[in-house]
Amino acid sequence: MKNTAIKHLSLKLLVLLAGLTTQAQTSKVEIQATGLTCSMCSNAISKQLKSLTEVDSIGTDLNTNTFTVYFKKDEEVEPKVLKNAVEKAGFFVGSMVLTTLFDAQEIEDNTVIKVGGNTYTFIDIKNQKADKVTKYRLLDKGYVTQKEYKKLLKSYSKYPSYTVENENNYHLKAL
Amino acid sequence: MFKIKNTGVAFLMIFSFSLASAQIKLGSQLPNIQLQNDRNTTIKLNSFKGKTVLVDFWASWCGPCRSANKKLVKMYDQYKGQNFEIVGISIDTDKTKWLKAIEKDKMKHTQLTDPKGFDAKSAITFGVDALPATYLFDASGKLIAINPTEAQIITQIKKNKK
Repeated sequence: MKNTAIKHLSLKLLVLLAGLTTQAQTSKVEIQATGLTCSMCSNAISKQLKSLTEVDSIGTDLNTNTFTVYFKKDEEVEPKVLKNAVEKAGFFVGSMVLTTLFDAQEIEDNTVIKVGGNTYTFIDIKNQKADKVTKYRLLDKGYVTQKEYKKLLKSYSKYPSYTVENENNYHLKAL
Repeated sequence: MFKIKNTGVAFLMIFSFSLASAQIKLGSQLPNIQLQNDRNTTIKLNSFKGKTVLVDFWASWCGPCRSANKKLVKMYDQYKGQNFEIVGISIDTDKTKWLKAIEKDKMKHTQLTDPKGFDAKSAITFGVDALPATYLFDASGKLIAINPTEAQIITQIKKNKK
């Protein structure tokens, strides 16, 4: 009797929690690194990314200068962690693309989705069904080159949250 | 008696294992690594013992390596007759791109391939963490410098000249 009561309670709690935040599942992240020297010529980025416990493997495409991060089953890290790893290796992120399924009904321009303690704002997006795995590029400072960020700041001035540099608020554009 | 033998064997195994996975450092001997060259022949790295040897890790996609290749070509041209060998080891995963780069950079020195990127066994043995990476061995096969300067290499060649 007592047991079922606890079960019910935890179930309710679970439902409640699920209702508060959206689920998102990222299957892979493609990162292009930049730096003063040839970023692909260094094993440092790969090593830093591999050292994250959630990371299963790193693929490198030497021709496009891309590191692809694959996560272990049911595990992932938020973009910030990957960005920090690249920067710890002494390089910068020139581009980061998430392949993600957001568990949301529909995503429109300026839709804000809450995942965990972060928000994801969708920018410059044509109404699309969000029920499929989509590639999204991160537009925030530190995820694009300095030069591109300056340009984006002008183009996206109508999105008030974009100009506020908050590392927990991500801005995504579907590719 | 049996016990002593067993521990001896265990020690020997541990010792040989640590030897096999040991990363080379200054003073180490030219490692016994076998790799394919650009003419599909297997080459033993330690067969170059007796010469001053510069082992050069590079890849076709590595810009700084490609510009360094130009210098290596000149150096090899000038000193190849003086008991000096350059052994290029490419960690390119794409064989075509590797061969194309050799042709384009007009390299005449020994070209070996270990096509597994930074996970290549030779790259791990040498402790290659970034490209280009060069290792200078004297005629006795001893590692005397990592990423030596051009002057350092030339001094060594002159020391070992026969």
